[in-house]
Amino acid sequence: MIEIIGLAKKFSVENPKKLSEQERKDPRLKGRFFHSVIDVSLTCQPGEVLGLLGPNGAGKTTTLRMLSTALKPDSGSVSINGTNVLSNPVIARKKIGFLSGSTGLYGRLSGRENIEYFAKLHGMSQGQIKQRIESLAELLDMHTFLDRRSENFSTGMKQKVAIARAVVHSPEVVILDEPTTGLDIMATQTVLSFIRGLKELGTPVIFSTHHLDEVSELCDRVAVIDQGLSKFDGPLQQFTELADGSLHGAFLTSIEQGK
Amino acid sequence: MWLVFFKEIKELLRDRKTLFFMIALPILIFPLIFGGMAYFTAQAFEKAESKVLKYAVVNAQYAPELAKDLVQSDKFERVDIGDNTDYAGLIKSDAIDFAIVMPENYSADILQSGQLTITLHLNDAQLNMVHNRVNALVQKYADEYQALAFSTLGVSAEQQGALLNPIELKQISTADQRENWGEKIGGMLPYLLFILCFQGAMFPATDIGAGEKERGTLETLLISPIDRTKIVLGKFLTIACAGATTALITVISMAVWGLVLSRGFAMQFVTDFMSQIGIVDFVLMFLMLIPLVAIFASVLLSISIYARSFKEAQSYMGPLVIFVIIPVMVALMPGVELKGGWSWVPLTNVALAMKELVKGTMDYFQLIAIFGSTALIAVLLLGFCVYWFKQEKVLFR
Repeated sequence: MIEIIGLAKKFSVENPKKLSEQERKDPRLKGRFFHSVIDVSLTCQPGEVLGLLGPNGAGKTTTLRMLSTALKPDSGSVSINGTNVLSNPVIARKKIGFLSGSTGLYGRLSGRENIEYFAKLHGMSQGQIKQRIESLAELLDMHTFLDRRSENFSTGMKQKVAIARAVVHSPEVVILDEPTTGLDIMATQTVLSFIRGLKELGTPVIFSTHHLDEVSELCDRVAVIDQGLSKFDGPLQQFTELADGSLHGAFLTSIEQGK
Repeated sequence: MWLVFFKEIKELLRDRKTLFFMIALPILIFPLIFGGMAYFTAQAFEKAESKVLKYAVVNAQYAPELAKDLVQSDKFERVDIGDNTDYAGLIKSDAIDFAIVMPENYSADILQSGQLTITLHLNDAQLNMVHNRVNALVQKYADEYQALAFSTLGVSAEQQGALLNPIELKQISTADQRENWGEKIGGMLPYLLFILCFQGAMFPATDIGAGEKERGTLETLLISPIDRTKIVLGKFLTIACAGATTALITVISMAVWGLVLSRGFAMQFVTDFMSQIGIVDFVLMFLMLIPLVAIFASVLLSISIYARSFKEAQSYMGPLVIFVIIPVMVALMPGVELKGGWSWVPLTNVALAMKELVKGTMDYFQLIAIFGSTALIAVLLLGFCVYWFKQEKVLFR
């Protein structure tokens, strides 16, 4: 399971004059620091899919980056199945599979080489890698293009390889940062059915999104962040009850809370 | 670390653009420079040699034999200019190529007439063979008249030599041919090597830093269970390797083409010159490039990882070339030698040392200062690069 308590992260602002009008009005800007995430807490149990919601600039990506160890939080704690992510980042990384909507591939390497590279970085043996890629290729239907250079892949192909790369080391949790943003319908379906597959395997998944239909289709839990603060963290049912079953209404209500 | 290194190398080798800059350019640039220069110079000389020159002769009546020779030669064409003595104007308007004025005292008996002065008006600013070609005709008569005068006076062959040049100041340079040419060629060598090294490292550096950010693969790499120091070292080695490869290919290409072309054009001195530079000197030159390449690689990687995109990285790197050129230019200035303080000035000392190695006058003790200062700077910069790579504000701009 994943447990995040009281996460906070601030960024120093080098030149406050360069900020946009909207950014300057943001209450999170204090002096030379922008407090992107102030206090975020959430939990996700095994087999659960958690949808992370929030308006643009709410701090979703920063939260997920801290969770995936790319960024170091200023305070708070993150634990994955009992491992403290902050004190043991390298161990934690072996447990995490991370994918974002903007992830790219190494264009001059083939799909297989892209996956292999990250498998090797995860310390997998040659035999393990071969076996794992074979089963992932089967699962994601990648046999036709796996050995071609990835620079000519379609968005859907790229996304499939990116997914395979993210889970090649069989992570204990999977984190997805807006995995469907910018994808066409087919590629989106690939991502969604992949999440469903993880759910069946009992792997907890956290993903951020702006598509509420994805939330209603897949999620067991919902967490809402606005202006760096946790506004909601609970089961999907409890979330929909905020506004008589309407997800849009529930989302707006949760943000209005505490204002 | 090696994992990152081998993957980057593999990617690099699959890129045509990089291969062109790393391998093809240094291989082709030398035959182009050497061959092109040899070809155009030979062409120009041949043209000057074979061109039919238009001339005017004044006072031809004093030296009829010489005037006749000029007329008979098919490489000269006489133009009648009448009484016009504005030679400069005539030459400028292309009416004639030169004017030759015979002296009034012209005579075969130089003991009577004294020294004969034939005046030649020509535009000497351009490449021309006028003096040579006219002199070839004149010399025949000069020798003839001289011999005649000596025999009239009854001067023996030994006396003739002493008379013509009573005291000869014989000069024996302790600088051999290698030192002489080394000064000229050795000064240019680091210029070329530095820039090619830098260029060779520049493209891979942009690609594996800023390129990785632009493609969105950096984040995935950062959350792989590998220490960030190892990522930096892997990438650093790739860039350094690319730079060194370019330099190595450059040196080899220069040596090979130098030999090939010198054989082809029968330029014996180039062959001798090349054979005098020992293997040890070549190895030392290459060894000195290693810390230098390390400096380039750390600086380039730091810039590349800071930049948000390919374009941004390139616009930062462009002006850097000047900082590579300036130290080499300093090394070419007169008075700057590989002594004392200068042997501690980074880049300049390497440029100076290369010159010394080519000349064969290297003071091998200076190597300590050169390697010391260059390696120290390289280590410091690499340290900075590692530190830089761990900064969130650099990675997530």
